[in-house]
Amino acid sequence: MNATHHTITALVQNEAGTINRLVSLFRRRGFSLASFNAGDCEDPGFSRLTFIVDGDDATISQCLKQLDKLIDVVECEDLPKEVSVQRELALMRVEPTEDQRQAVYNVVNEFIAKTPRSTPTCIVVEQAADVTDIERLIEALRPYNITEIVRTGVVAMRT
Amino acid sequence: MNRSGARIVMEALVREGVETIFGYPGGVVLPLYDEMLNWPQVRHVLVRHEQCAAHMADGYARATGKVGVCLATSGPGATNLVTGIATAIMDGIPMVAITGNVNSWAIGKDAFQETDIQGITIPITKHNYLVTDINELPKVLAEAFYLANSGRKGPVLVDIPKDVFIAKTEAQFPDKIERRGYKPAGAPAQAEIREAARLIAEAKRPVMIAGAGVLHADAVEELRYFAETTKIPVINSLLGLGSFPRDHELSLGMMGMHGEATGTLAVQEADLVIGLGNRFDDRLTGNTKGFAPKAKILHFDLDPSEIGKTVNPVAWVLGDLKLSLNALNELVGPGDYPEWMDRIRFWQDSFPIIVPEGRFLSRTVLRALNEITNGESIVATDVGQHQMWTAQFYKMKKPRSFLSSGGLGTMGYGFPAAMGAKFARPDEEVWAVVGDGGFQMTLQELQTAVEYNCNVKICLLNNGFLGMVRQWQELFYDNRHSHVAMGSPDFGKLADAYGVKFFRCSRQEDLEATLKGATAHDGPVLCEFVVEMEENVFPMVGPGASNDALVMDPDLIPSEAAHKPGAFETTHAGAVKQ
Repeated sequence: MNATHHTITALVQNEAGTINRLVSLFRRRGFSLASFNAGDCEDPGFSRLTFIVDGDDATISQCLKQLDKLIDVVECEDLPKEVSVQRELALMRVEPTEDQRQAVYNVVNEFIAKTPRSTPTCIVVEQAADVTDIERLIEALRPYNITEIVRTGVVAMRT
Repeated sequence: MNRSGARIVMEALVREGVETIFGYPGGVVLPLYDEMLNWPQVRHVLVRHEQCAAHMADGYARATGKVGVCLATSGPGATNLVTGIATAIMDGIPMVAITGNVNSWAIGKDAFQETDIQGITIPITKHNYLVTDINELPKVLAEAFYLANSGRKGPVLVDIPKDVFIAKTEAQFPDKIERRGYKPAGAPAQAEIREAARLIAEAKRPVMIAGAGVLHADAVEELRYFAETTKIPVINSLLGLGSFPRDHELSLGMMGMHGEATGTLAVQEADLVIGLGNRFDDRLTGNTKGFAPKAKILHFDLDPSEIGKTVNPVAWVLGDLKLSLNALNELVGPGDYPEWMDRIRFWQDSFPIIVPEGRFLSRTVLRALNEITNGESIVATDVGQHQMWTAQFYKMKKPRSFLSSGGLGTMGYGFPAAMGAKFARPDEEVWAVVGDGGFQMTLQELQTAVEYNCNVKICLLNNGFLGMVRQWQELFYDNRHSHVAMGSPDFGKLADAYGVKFFRCSRQEDLEATLKGATAHDGPVLCEFVVEMEENVFPMVGPGASNDALVMDPDLIPSEAAHKPGAFETTHAGAVKQ
């Protein structure tokens, strides 16, 4: 992961337009958004979001202040890796030749990934891990004809 | 009791003390307009274009500090509000915009006059709502008014589908507004105040820049006490004008791109620049790399995102400015800066704003307007040269007496904003200073002024050009005039057609009589001043240039003193050419 990547998490009050308003802020103020993820949390009516944002310290500081200014945002922070768990879920569909199938399973086992579905022509590989691990897994599978990759973006939690 | 959504809107207006709203009816707001007839205590001003409803609500808010309310129907009615809402967010103006929308079940089906006004206004509102559940309406309206006029103020839009105006509910207005994500600024941290006081005590050449935050926080008295105690001179941002009396010996007027030279030079020489509720915008700072090169910056604001946004302060005080200044006033002692003030007086003497005599200029008119009103009227401006000259020449004595679109720079703002101010404060004399370009954007409101006998005086400076654009074409594009000359109708006939009292003046000899005639007339007046076509605003800091590259008026004959070693060297207009 690039050194300028920052993981920003936010707790937001969920209303019509909330996600639109949050994402619009990044576009309007020119903050570079690499990924974002939103989902329900322990509080009904609230969501937790994780943004991966590129930028120097001044930019990230301004980004946090602008986010915090939104009425929907209850709290937000720039989460350091050392005090957080950061995970991403990735699905990769691989369409290996007959001869390559065992090699794919070997990679899957080596990375302790899962294969939730296999057909005679394709294998869907599932991995929940930190971003570096996922990227290493993708590289390991690349020789075996990856035809689609779907990633959730990082979700992060303070420990 | 079961009440309709339309009734709840009217109840909300009464609860919030709204006496006047500005609006325009249409299909989906019919239930609200019907209900309105039962509420004579709320005056509805029928505008001729929704943009002006928003500008009038803005003028009403700036002149009073209360929330301005505008109302429009769905689709084009709602989108016509957009410029007015964007004007309000840039300048932190408390406003509630209420729009109707198509029936909730038709939303998303491209119904007639449907538009996604919530989506459109996300980037230009402090917050906005689409209310699809009647039971939510009382809470949303109460919250909208609270958000608009607390913390950093701003416009809040509430979009209400037609069926929600008609539906009924038992839901009551909340007694208290609580939102987990909203924490308007309160008292400052004492440690920040102590550090501020320490920096002030150390300074040898301090200045302060008072911005609109002083007005928003109702901290005018606190600012005056602070200035008079410490003897620190007060510069204003454009929108801060009115927060400190312009005839006060410590007032240096506006600084920046077209500010008075003294303020701009003082900031370049200062060792401490105290920002009070200002946002160090680019028109004030010039190129930030060259801004206040010898100074520490101490920034007071209630919005954390303003700290370090454009300049890097060494210290700051976060909090409500009235509370912050009160706390600071308890710690600071009497100050005295005789050498620094000598230098400031020298700049004031050497580089005054001037009006060349023997010519009939916009400046000639605005100088006279200042003299005749004694700086005691409310003045609203449009945007451009006349706006800058008004900022330079109008010596406003009172807060909330200068209304101008500083952030967005909205042409067409001045006349409807002046009307909004007049509706709010009928006992005050209100002038709109406009150019021939901007006035033609919103002059249809002459009819509104006539119908409500809205007694505003329009000072129309007609130079046949978009003057500021022409000035930039002259200075930065080899004087190639591209689509900048502007024809106008016969304003006398136009005024006649609307039934508005009209004066035309093209000679200095008639100036006083014209302005006095306008003041004496009971009703709206259009005064057209036919001024010299090509007149430039100075001083000037070119776009992207540092404030050090301040260009003085070429007509300014430097005093002998200005040639002494160490004085600021005047440059000529050619120096700003790129």
